[in-house]
Amino acid sequence: MADQFWWVIFPYLVMTIFIFGHLYRFQTGEFGWTAKSSEFLEKKRLKWGSWLFHIGVIFVFFGHVAGLLIPVKVYYALGVSDEFYHTMAVWGGGIAGLMAVVGIFLLLIRRFSVKRVRATSSLGDFIAIILLTITIVAGLVATGTNTVADSGFDYRTTINPWVRGLLIFKPDAAFMETVPLPFKIHMVSAFALFGIWPFTRLVHVFSLPLLYLRRSYVLYRKRIKTAGAHK
Amino acid sequence: MKKRNRLLEKLRYFQPREKMSQGWSEVSHKGREWEDIYRQRWQYDKVVRSTHGVNCTGSCSWNIFVKDGIVAWENQSTDYPTTGADMPEFEPRGCPRGASFSWYIYSPLRVKYPYIRSVLLEMWRESLAKTNDPVKAWAAIVENPTHSKRYKTARGKGGLVRTSWEEVTQIIAANLIYTIKKYGPDRILGFSPIPAMSMISYASGSRFLSMLGSPLLSFYDWYADLPPASPQIWGDQTDVPESSDWFNSEYIIVWGSNIPLTRTPDAHFLTEARYKGTKIVNVSPDYAESTKFADNWLSVKPGTDGAVAMAMGHVILNEFYEKNKTDSFATYAKKYTDFPFLVTLQKDGDQFKADRFLNSQDIDRNVQHGDWKTVVFDERTGAYAIPKGTVGSRWDDKQNWNLKMEDEDTNEAIDPRLSILGIEDETVTVKLPYFDDYKKEVMTRSVPVKKIEKDGETIYVTSVYDLMLANYGIDRGIGGDVPQSYDDKKPFTPAWQEEFTGVSRKDVIKIAREFAQNAIDTNGKSMIIVGAGINHWYHSDTIYRAVLNLVLMVGSQGVNGGGWAHYVGQEKLRPKEGWGTLAFAKDWGNVPKQQNGTSFFYFATDQWRYEEIPVSEFVSPVADKARYDHVGDYNVLAARNGWLPSFPQFNKNSIDLYEEAQSAGADNEEQIRNYVAEQLKNKTLQFSIEDPDNPVNFPRTMFVWRANLISSSGKGHEYFLKHLLGTHNGLLNEDSDTLRPEEVKWHDEAPEGKLDLLVDMDFRMSGTALYSDIILPAATWYEKHDLSSTDMHPFVHPFNPAVSPQWESKSDWDTFKKVAKTFSEMSKHYFDGPVKEVIGTPLAHDSKAEISQPLGKVKDWSKGETEPIPGVTMPNIQVVERDYANIYKKMISIGDGPSNNPIMKDEFEKLKKMIPKTEEDGISKGKPSIASDRDAAQMVLSLSSTTNGKVAAKAWEDLEHKTGQTFKDLSAEREAEHFTFDDITRQPKEVLTSPAFSGSNKNRRYSPFTINVERDKPWHTLTGRQHFYIDHEMMMEWGESLATYKPIVNHTPFLPSKSRPDVEGKEITLQYLTPHNKWSIHSMYFDSKPMLELFRGGPTIWLNKDDAAEAGLDDNDWMECFNRNGVVVGRAVVTHRIPRGMAFMHHAQDRHIYVPKTNVSGTRGGTHNSPTKIHVKPTHMIGGYAQLSYGFNYYGPTGNQRDLNVVIRKLKEVDWLED
Repeated sequence: MADQFWWVIFPYLVMTIFIFGHLYRFQTGEFGWTAKSSEFLEKKRLKWGSWLFHIGVIFVFFGHVAGLLIPVKVYYALGVSDEFYHTMAVWGGGIAGLMAVVGIFLLLIRRFSVKRVRATSSLGDFIAIILLTITIVAGLVATGTNTVADSGFDYRTTINPWVRGLLIFKPDAAFMETVPLPFKIHMVSAFALFGIWPFTRLVHVFSLPLLYLRRSYVLYRKRIKTAGAHK
Repeated sequence: MKKRNRLLEKLRYFQPREKMSQGWSEVSHKGREWEDIYRQRWQYDKVVRSTHGVNCTGSCSWNIFVKDGIVAWENQSTDYPTTGADMPEFEPRGCPRGASFSWYIYSPLRVKYPYIRSVLLEMWRESLAKTNDPVKAWAAIVENPTHSKRYKTARGKGGLVRTSWEEVTQIIAANLIYTIKKYGPDRILGFSPIPAMSMISYASGSRFLSMLGSPLLSFYDWYADLPPASPQIWGDQTDVPESSDWFNSEYIIVWGSNIPLTRTPDAHFLTEARYKGTKIVNVSPDYAESTKFADNWLSVKPGTDGAVAMAMGHVILNEFYEKNKTDSFATYAKKYTDFPFLVTLQKDGDQFKADRFLNSQDIDRNVQHGDWKTVVFDERTGAYAIPKGTVGSRWDDKQNWNLKMEDEDTNEAIDPRLSILGIEDETVTVKLPYFDDYKKEVMTRSVPVKKIEKDGETIYVTSVYDLMLANYGIDRGIGGDVPQSYDDKKPFTPAWQEEFTGVSRKDVIKIAREFAQNAIDTNGKSMIIVGAGINHWYHSDTIYRAVLNLVLMVGSQGVNGGGWAHYVGQEKLRPKEGWGTLAFAKDWGNVPKQQNGTSFFYFATDQWRYEEIPVSEFVSPVADKARYDHVGDYNVLAARNGWLPSFPQFNKNSIDLYEEAQSAGADNEEQIRNYVAEQLKNKTLQFSIEDPDNPVNFPRTMFVWRANLISSSGKGHEYFLKHLLGTHNGLLNEDSDTLRPEEVKWHDEAPEGKLDLLVDMDFRMSGTALYSDIILPAATWYEKHDLSSTDMHPFVHPFNPAVSPQWESKSDWDTFKKVAKTFSEMSKHYFDGPVKEVIGTPLAHDSKAEISQPLGKVKDWSKGETEPIPGVTMPNIQVVERDYANIYKKMISIGDGPSNNPIMKDEFEKLKKMIPKTEEDGISKGKPSIASDRDAAQMVLSLSSTTNGKVAAKAWEDLEHKTGQTFKDLSAEREAEHFTFDDITRQPKEVLTSPAFSGSNKNRRYSPFTINVERDKPWHTLTGRQHFYIDHEMMMEWGESLATYKPIVNHTPFLPSKSRPDVEGKEITLQYLTPHNKWSIHSMYFDSKPMLELFRGGPTIWLNKDDAAEAGLDDNDWMECFNRNGVVVGRAVVTHRIPRGMAFMHHAQDRHIYVPKTNVSGTRGGTHNSPTKIHVKPTHMIGGYAQLSYGFNYYGPTGNQRDLNVVIRKLKEVDWLED
């Protein structure tokens, strides 16, 4: 039953909050949609922490897409050997993960130790950064212990199908039975993060200037009858 | 308007769009509602007339526009009454600074709540909880050295927290009661300048403090805006033409006044005068904005203006008096100047030196006040005569105090001789003092003399005119060491001045001739506009006298379009009598304490401990020696002799002193006066000023409102921080081996943090606010009722609230009411009914006390030279009752005073019907209520002669009675006018001609002294005329009986004998000048966004490009600018506009914008006042002698700070001290 909650109910709960939370936030507080930069208050530590974390985490994101959403068969079909896949995952993912973890620690320390930053932080800022840290550390530990111990555990046959199952509404908690603890912590904290996501500064992830991709350079607006216009 | 769904809007991204121009343009789906914001931009809900209370002298009328309850913008009013045909109008009036004021109301700088420093608040709450008695709670804090040090050293370092009005007024009241009981009410002081800029606000605090028995500090002299030459020459604080009268002039010399920059709303009259054909000459070291108006520009070396003026005077006296007699000049000089008056000569070896005026006793005429009646030689009878109009006859009360050319006793017509030459008994050599940049020496020149035999002695006399010619070096063919031509480099020829001023002799000769010839051709329409550029020097009075002599010589003073025009500070408060009654609580019979600011700050901030140049170096080569070497000693003399006020007054609580006198058996006031005089004589009682560093004499509490003292006007900023406030400072000076005074007690350890409580009221977080213990949020100029006037135009403008005071702010009127209420309620528990105190006030100008100390001789009773007689040889001693529990009730109602004032009493009855009555029981019940600032303003308008025709008529009657002349017609046709607050809110209204001022504006433009000249009203001087010669002993000691040239003092940045910061890179030493700023009015607007955007923003210092190159500075480099007084950091403005050798740091660049660290002090670079220190001039302290008698803001030492040099160098590293 616990498995059913953690790996089926909880993820759907979170995904619902995630989607509708963002819509709600945008609808009610569009102008509060912000990355809440604190660069004005402290620059030196932010420079390193922010760069390392953001670059690292973007690569980590693509690594997760590659690892979680693309079925192992696709790799076989493409002729990617297990060995090559693992080397890429460990080295590429490791470096990106290391950057992210160093970055997040710098940011975490900064948030708590710099007086001005601490004083201007909201509860959401603290929760977000703590959950991010737990998720990243757990993820790195999971990957690290799995490779080093060579337990033979393959997430591509366990976690991946579970995730894809969630996405196509055929959830199956059974996939998760053999998953080692660090992975479980990683995933639970990640879902917790998704749950609070819409209500924190993390919404800035979705602030992309997509409008410009298909917009003409010169814009016209139509004259319409409004209360203030007399003509 | 329909609210759009933002999310659905986003989905339009996927909709097809209408594209044009090969896809380069498209139609957006978004709406155009935003355009309505712009359509509605200039719509408003109401418009209100107000003005700005900022001491800019503008006093412009503005319309304030309110939209949705927010002040949206302001616009200049355009409805000034016309100036008549053939004259440009007053409108336009205004400037970009005023136009940006509304920004402040909602700015981040706005003080929105009462604030207090948290260390003090925490101690207070703890102490109050412990003692449960506010006064004991306050005592527990200030009497504990650790506690008091903790909050005093925190001043200026932030830590301000919000508090409530209830809590903060309780603290203030506790402090007041504690201080009154322990030290006396004169340890509490108020500083608020320029009543004219917002009269009711000024009056709020001054009314409250005056009833406490707490002194108000003067500002006009402290700002060094007061020209001491004006009281010296005219016996008048300052009276000048309104700006429209420039248009009436045909020749204007603009001398050290940057009209377009500092008189922006008035500058158009100068332009229009030029269109009319008026010639304009500009005297200014730099290419100032005013220079562009000029036909001739004299680029004079800073501070040498007196030399140029002396040389011009030389030309005029030579060509228009001596060589060719100009009838119009001679006629004017005989009647309106002291030229014909006779001066005694004192034998000095086989030569002579000029002494005092000859008086009626010397010629054996037995008349009343004989010492005070000066004498001329009458051409008609060939004998001496006493003309009418002298100060002696003023106080005879014989109704003949006028300028008729008659003998005051015999009423025979007289025709005074200008010169003794032609009837002289002999010609003698007179010694005259001479000073220049290198030396001082004695000039030996000849004057013709008459001899008078009296009591077996011969009195030698000559005329002021003869002395003047001798002094200016005019060759009259009677010998003496005089120059032979204009090219002879002896003083004071055009050739002589070249070396010091850098101005060509040709220009000097040409302009002097033109100025005089123009006066002949136009009957006196030659004008000199003077300003701060020449008024802020140590010897500004000698510069001014040299300059002003020119307008007297050519008879242009008292003529429209002629005379002097001094514009430094918004000093002209038009509705004078009513305001004086309100502001100093005279309606309740109050005796106010009015302390001259400079003396107070000089001792309070311990700048007196750092004197280095002995007075002997300044005194006349003709005089024996200086009376004292330390200027502080002169101030003690001035306090003792009743010349200057001196608060804190005695080293005893003034309330205790009264009780002590009583217990010693002194029952009535006369006995108390004698008791105090006796105590002072035997030194059991001392003046506080004799031991200013003794804690019993410290000032304890200060209220600052409408001012930015700690920053803008606190000359000697670092001394303020160190000694008065006791907080961190950048003072580099040491007092270990400075001059030691004789009369002032020296303590080796200088006190720090004398002040217990500094309370500031402001609407913006100014420098003063940041250093205050308590800050009270003030209403802005668009949130209250008030009045404003200026000397630049003849209107009285109202302030009206466009919105109510925002956040928790209150008008100053309401703030002091609140303080008074809390104080009065608490006082009931701490005082058993009214108390009495003893006070000493100086011998006042325009009172009979001004004829107390005859012959200009100094008699010090403490040296046994005379007896201490209160009100004669020493301050007047009075006993005054203070009813502390009733102060609030008195504050908000009008006492019976006006009923006893003959000029006011009828109009007071009318006023009672115009404003409400007080309902509350007690002392004020049934009296007219001035609980509202608007009613207080009406009181001022109703009881003043400039704003109520009936009051003017009564005042004229009074003057007619004294003089026997006719004046009433000057305001008769407007006698029915009684200004109401509504009247002046509807439209600007020109004030009435009244005896409160010296000129008439009846169907003409206002120009000073026109009434004196046209109606034979004497000036308030010794001779009743305009003075070229001043015969006080101390003026002789300083060699300033006559105008002369005195070089600037030129203090070096550091004394060679003392340490200085290590040299770092290239350095350059420059004169440090602090002229007014173009992008601010003092510190106001300096921090506003609109103004910061007009120039670079933040502190800047201007210097010449070659000086900059020498110091290795590029434009916009940060630099340190320092001397022994302190350091300021600013960015370089490198310019060709300023000649080499000087740096301009525009005055009042407050320290709260862009102030990086400097290693010179180890803290943030200070304010423009950091490298300054005041230098006090003893001749400004003279009192008890006709026009040289004390008046609040009338006479007293100026707080000048200009004769300084600074070291400038590049700031090595810009550290904002942020981490």
